[in-house]
Order: sequence, then C-alpha cells, then structure tokens
Amino acid sequence: MNYRRRSALAVLAAATLTLVGACAPGNQGAPAGAPTAGSSAPAQEPYKPAVITLGTAEDSKGPAIAPEGVVKGGTVTMIDRDDFAHLDPAQSYVNTATNFGLLIHRGLTGYKRTAKGEYKLVGDLATDAGQVSDGGKTWTFTLKDGVKWQDGSAITSADVRWTIERSFADFITFGPSYIQQWLTQDDYKKAYSGPYDGKQLENIETPDDKTIVFKFKAPHADANYAFAMGGYAIVPKAKDTKEKYDKEPFSSGPYIIKSHVVDKSMELARNPHWDPATDPIRGAYPDVWKLEFGQEALQITDRFIADVGPDQQAFTFYAAVPPERLQQVLNDASLADRRMVSPSPYGNYYYFNLDRVKDQKLRQAVNYAWPSKQIQQTIGGPQAAALPTTILNENTTVGYKPYDLFGKTTKPEGDIEKAKQLIAESDNPNPTIVYAYNQTPVQEQVTVVIKNALEKAGIKVVAKPLDRKTYYDSISQTKNEFDLYWGGWGADWPSGSTVMPIIFGPVSDGGQNMSHLNTPELTAKMKEISENPDIDAANAAWMALDKEIQEKYTPLVVAENRIATTLHGSKVGGAEIDPQMWIVSPNTIFVKP
Amino acid sequence: MTTPTSTEDAIDATSVTETSGAVGRSPGQLMWMRFKRDRTGVISAIIVIFFFLVALLAPVISMVYGKDPYTLYGQDMPGLLNDYGYPIQPNGGISSEFWFGLEPSLGRDVFMQLVYGIRTSLGIAVAATLITTTLGIVVGIVAGYAGGKTDYFVGRLIDLTLSFPQTIFIIAFTPVVESLLVPADEETPVWLRAVTLTIMLSAFGWAGLARLLRGYVLSMREREYVEAARVTGASPGRIVFKELLPNLWTPILIQSTLLLPAMVTAEAGLSFLGVGMGELVPDWGRMFLRATQVYQNDITYLIFPGVALLIFVVAFNLLGDSVRDAFDPKIKR
Repeated sequence: MNYRRRSALAVLAAATLTLVGACAPGNQGAPAGAPTAGSSAPAQEPYKPAVITLGTAEDSKGPAIAPEGVVKGGTVTMIDRDDFAHLDPAQSYVNTATNFGLLIHRGLTGYKRTAKGEYKLVGDLATDAGQVSDGGKTWTFTLKDGVKWQDGSAITSADVRWTIERSFADFITFGPSYIQQWLTQDDYKKAYSGPYDGKQLENIETPDDKTIVFKFKAPHADANYAFAMGGYAIVPKAKDTKEKYDKEPFSSGPYIIKSHVVDKSMELARNPHWDPATDPIRGAYPDVWKLEFGQEALQITDRFIADVGPDQQAFTFYAAVPPERLQQVLNDASLADRRMVSPSPYGNYYYFNLDRVKDQKLRQAVNYAWPSKQIQQTIGGPQAAALPTTILNENTTVGYKPYDLFGKTTKPEGDIEKAKQLIAESDNPNPTIVYAYNQTPVQEQVTVVIKNALEKAGIKVVAKPLDRKTYYDSISQTKNEFDLYWGGWGADWPSGSTVMPIIFGPVSDGGQNMSHLNTPELTAKMKEISENPDIDAANAAWMALDKEIQEKYTPLVVAENRIATTLHGSKVGGAEIDPQMWIVSPNTIFVKP
Repeated sequence: MTTPTSTEDAIDATSVTETSGAVGRSPGQLMWMRFKRDRTGVISAIIVIFFFLVALLAPVISMVYGKDPYTLYGQDMPGLLNDYGYPIQPNGGISSEFWFGLEPSLGRDVFMQLVYGIRTSLGIAVAATLITTTLGIVVGIVAGYAGGKTDYFVGRLIDLTLSFPQTIFIIAFTPVVESLLVPADEETPVWLRAVTLTIMLSAFGWAGLARLLRGYVLSMREREYVEAARVTGASPGRIVFKELLPNLWTPILIQSTLLLPAMVTAEAGLSFLGVGMGELVPDWGRMFLRATQVYQNDITYLIFPGVALLIFVVAFNLLGDSVRDAFDPKIKR
C-alpha cells in the first residue's frame, strides 16, 4: 500500500516537472523557403495546367506507356478514409468512385497519360476516340478485338447499349446525365424508363457485335469526352443485377474484387481475362491491391512520414496532408520526393438552398460576413487553400477573368458592418441559417469559425453534422432541410459548358443543382452560350455570366479552393495526382521490391 | 515518509474501541480521525475540493480573468496565430493575457477551456456516478436478499452488462439517438448530448457495484442479527433498509469515490473518440484529442489538459483509497 501511494505521488511530481520544464518554440510564420503564396500560387512549383489533346487510333492501342523505372508485380496498399459509396459505374460521379473504377471497369474512351501533365483522349474499349458524322449528331464507335469480361466472354456492342440504356432506370440516381439528355431530352427519365421492361432506345444502333452508333438530338462535338467519364463505364447485360450491382460489380478492367468488407477493407486480384495489349490507359503493375478504409488523413500522413514496414509500399488516393501536419511536411526536405502537390481543379461553393433562403439581401450578407481568411487559417494557411472569388475555377477555365464582388481581396476576414447593414435592410432582421456539414474533424472546426463570424453579423447558425459517406447524397436531395452546404463541382472536360449548365441546370434528386437556382432566363442564356460555335466568344460569355449570376441571384458563397499536398510510401513508384480528377491515379502506380 | 507511522496509528485507532471506556466514538468519528491522520488523503481531498470549487466558480473566474471559453481570440485578434493556425508566441502562445496559451487553429483561450472543461467532465461524471450507485445498490441488494431465481437472472444480466463492449456500443448508438430525437433543422442540443452520455455511462457502470453488494448481502443475510429481526417479524423492507443497508455504506462510499474518477476518464475518452460533447462545449477529452493532432508543432497544448486530467484522476483515486483505509483499516491490498 505504501509503495503504491509513493509511486502515485512520484507520477504527480514527474508530471509537474514536465509542465515546468517544457518549452515549446514559437511558430513564427511560413516555413523557410516557401513562397509567400498569393491567392492561387501553389506551394512548391508553379502550377502547369494539364494539356489534353485528342489521340489517334494508333494512340488507342495498348499497352499503356509505362512510367520511369516501372516494376511489375508485388502488393500495393491503398489507405483512405472512406469506402467507395458506389461500385456500379452508372452511380459513380464522385472522383473517388470513378478513379477506383479505373481498376475494375472500362469505358468506350479514356485519358491516356503520355507524359507528366500531358494526356490524350483515346479509345479504351473502342479502337479510336470515336468517329463523328452528321454535323456532330452521330457518333460511331468500333470495339477492339480481344476485350473480355472477367468470365472470359467477349464484350459486345449489346453490352454498351445496355450500359447506356440502364442509366435511364429509376434506381440510377447519382451518375452523370449528359449522354442520356443528349439522346432524349433534359428530363430524360420521362422519355425512357430503362431496358428492364424490354424496350430499347431507338437512337442507339448496333449494326453488328463490334459497332455501336449514337444519334443525338443536337450536335455534340465533345461527346467522346463525355464517354470518358467513369459513369459511362460498361455493365454486362448478362450479369446486370440492378440495385445489387452496386455491391458486386462484374469486372472488365485489370482487377477483380476478391473480398470486400464494407468500410474496412477490400482486396483486388488480377483479372486473368484482361489483356494489356488492348488497354492503352491502365498499367496495372501490382499483382495485388489491398485497400484499407477508416483511417483519418492525419493517421495516414503520420504513417507515410514514419514510412515503416509495409507502409513503404502504401499510398493514398485521396487523403491529403491535414492542416496539422502541413507545416511539418512542407519543411521536411527528406519528404520532398514523396510529396505530390496539386491545386484543385474544382469550383467549391457553399450553396444556398434557394427554396429556403429566399431573401437575396441575406445571401449577400452571408457573402460579406464570410470568414474566408479564418477558414483558410483553420485548414492550414495559404499553402493549403487559395481564396478564389469567382464561380469558375481559374485552373480549368480558358479566358479566366477575375472579379471581386464582395470585397474579399480587401477584407478576406469578412465585412461584418456591411453584412449587418444588409440584414437591417432585409425582410427578417433576425435570420437563421441551417448549415449542414460533412462531419470530419477539420469541418467541425471550420463550422465553429463560420458560426462565429455569421453570429457576429447577427445571423443565427444551426450547424447540422452529416454522416461522411452519405453527405453528398443527403445534400443533393431536392427537399433537404438545410439552408447552406458545401459542394464542389469539377469541369467534366475543360470547358465552362460543363460547369454552369450543371450547377444551375435541372433540379433533381441526386442532381448537381444544389442551390436550386433555375430560371428560364438563365437557362436560355446558357443554352445560347453552349451552342456558340466561336469558342473564344463562348469563354468570354461564360466569364461574364459568372459575375452576372453572383450579382443577380447570389446563389452561393465561393468557397476556399484546396491545394492538396499528398504523401506516399517510399517504395511506391508512379504516384501522380491526376490534374483533372485531383486524385492519385491508379494507372501508373507500381511497387518497388 | 510518514506513511508507515500513519498505518500504525490506524491500527491503534481500531484498538481504541476495545480499551477506552471513557471516550465513546461512533464509527463515523473514528473514520474521520483516521482520515485526518492520513496526509496523502488530506492533500488529495484538498485537490479534489479545489477542482469542484473551480467548476462551481467558473463564471466568476471567467469574469475576473476577462475571457470566456467561446470567443475565438486567435482569429479575431490578428498577430496571435500564424498562417497555419499555430500560436506565434513560444510555449503555445502563453502570455500575460493568455495564461495557458491559445488553442491552435480556432484560437480559443486554453485556461478558460480548462476551467469550463472541468464543469463538463465533473457534471457528467457526478450525475453518472449517482445514477450508477443508486442502480447498483438497488439491483445488488435485491439480488442478494431475494436469492433464488431473481438472483440467478440478475446475475446473468450483470454478466451480460459486464461483458458488453460498451465503448463500441456507445460510439454506434449515439448518432442513432441523435438522428431519432433531433429534428433535421435543429442543432443537437447540448443537454441531449450530456444526458445521452450520462445514461450510457450509467447503463454500463452499475454492474460491478451491484455484484459486489450482492456478495455482501449474501454473507450478511444469514447473520444472527438479521435472523433475529426476521424472527421478530420485521418486514423485508425494514430488514433491507434498517439492518442491511447501514452495514453496506462503507463499500458503497468507497466504490463511488473510486467510480467518479473512472467516469471522468470515461467521459474524456468518449469525447476523444468523437462521441462526447460537441466542438462548442469545452471538454478535456476533446482538448486532448486536438492536442494529439497538433503536438508535433504545439506540445504546450497537450500538457495542460493532460496534466489537469492526470492530477484530478490521481488525486481522486488516492482519496478513494484513503477513504477506504479510514473506514476499514483491516483491508489491505
């Protein structure tokens, strides 16, 4: 007993000593050697936008161009926070899902990496990136020889037809909708209800097993880019299990899902029927993929910094270095060759739900009061996030012209006075905003910052945490009960026409118009710009429309744009952030022994 | 040290009851005498009282100190945090204005967070301890006194509760409770979180005490004085409350003083795992969680909640030990 007591006292004494003796250095500022980043400058090297060109039939032949020093075989580990919400390609729109889809699914076209930052659109299952005729209305694809499903049966044009037709079905709610709309009408589910009741779409033709012809209602000169989206990867007619396909997809890609414990782990083994000679896109160098889910970005980063044992052969698709470690990671020269830096190609917005926040004065007040600078500080400073002021992303917009409607360049910390004044002029002097957020540790803190700032302006903030895995599904419900929520949108291919008509397009459950801004006037204007044959004029018009929308409707607060710094293990090669997808591409990954 | 002599004193004190004819002392007085001689116990008691006082006087401290735990000082006043959100001043931003420094990123005052954090921790822990103890007493005495089938079934229930993976259950269950009870357009109220935590902690905490008391009651109900009471026709209620319960106060008091620090740690642990109080409520567990994320750049922030929690739990445990020794000096471990 006596011994016990004494030791407890000793612990107390030791703890007190630690307290007295501890001396932590101050954190005086940015790491040495780092540029004082402006609004958009990334941390390490100047950002070079990706160059994307159209490939030929020759480019479409396999195998893929191997990265330098490639080694085949071995087991690679991928560690990430969340499991993939969808495995059915038709339900996949979020980049994590479509990027993973590259391992198990193939589509008609895809992007082939020819050098760092250089990509070509080539035929994936098709022999080339498509033949266009009839002034852009008719697209013809021919399938390659020797492309097979995981059971060895040939991939035919009937499968491609089935893939497009089934995306009209009721249960497909989260995937892209370009092709469906082009084939029928904007509200495409009304025009056709899917192939399950035996009906076929008339404007898809399959003259033989290898050829498939799409006949669109209007000219779409960029349809081959649309087919490259992960959401149009193919699904076998014979193995389609409708809703269940989302859990057990049938592989056409280089790997087969060997085991999958939801939210925990997944293991991929080689698909023996995948022939690299037919695939110009996927390297598929490791023999086995082990995917681990449920790890926070912080733990993942710490594992990569430590770089011990099997973690040396690990990488992450999506877990960027969190703010807490950014200072350390950027300062550590020994991590330089394992660091990938890429600014986001997305537009990021805090959308107002216009069905609930009807007063534009309030929306403007929130914009003025918005604590952009504080949020930037909370998520890791100027090297972790830029503060854009426009709806279109400067990195993916040709002819970008900045404007600053809410004084964010002069007062990035928010203009509380101006906000108060606007609220005084509005209908309701004591407004409440229900802010829904994705419940991650960083977002919890950002929420406190937002709440703090808006409440200073006299806006009551009700914060609703949402489950991470279903966050997007929740906020993209039309009848949601939130006023403000974060959402991102990336151009599906480098053109303003894949941003504006989507985020202010048709309002539907699971759709991307999360602000629910949809006026005939705006729709007509966007249609007019879309059909403009002069690409430069169209780009200028998109930029002008950007400002006009914020002035006239204020449907959103432009959010901070994240700059990702991601680490990988020392024995992983070929790890690169795909500039379009902003996620580490699986195509070039290999492991060194 | 003085501890060996104090043990001897304790033994002397028991012998007092046999020898002294002049001074009569109640067991309570004896206990108090023995406790006063136990220096560790007294120091622990002072520390514990100090913590309770701080919790009670938190608003006064806040007023005198001139800060509150909710304002984001680091963000509202430029020059305190750098671009990464870490305090610019050394030692986690300790200055004459911010005595214990600033929280990284959000820039709240650490001293105020700690002071108000005691309220959260102690409030939930005290409530959970009271409920747990009451539940434990009732179930334990009923099982021990009734015997037979009741005892058998209660025993199995206790087994089940003790073997239940409670942490996992709480982590899984808390979001469910919230989504059931909170309307979509309202924030989860703080009290709901607190009540959920208290109930959860109590629901899994009573079994140990119940089992212990059942054992005590089993050994006591066949004693002569209980037999005698039964023969004279005393009702079961009278036997339980007047004959058995007075003899059980010692184990109950000891168990509950040891239970309280366990509850404080459990609450902090749950907050650490993200099912405790929200970001807006000061809480030691969450401070600790945040500190483990930033310790490589700001170790000071880890030290304050860590040391505070350590001192509190050690002091309370030592107090529990001392109380036990004072009540029953013959029990030695």
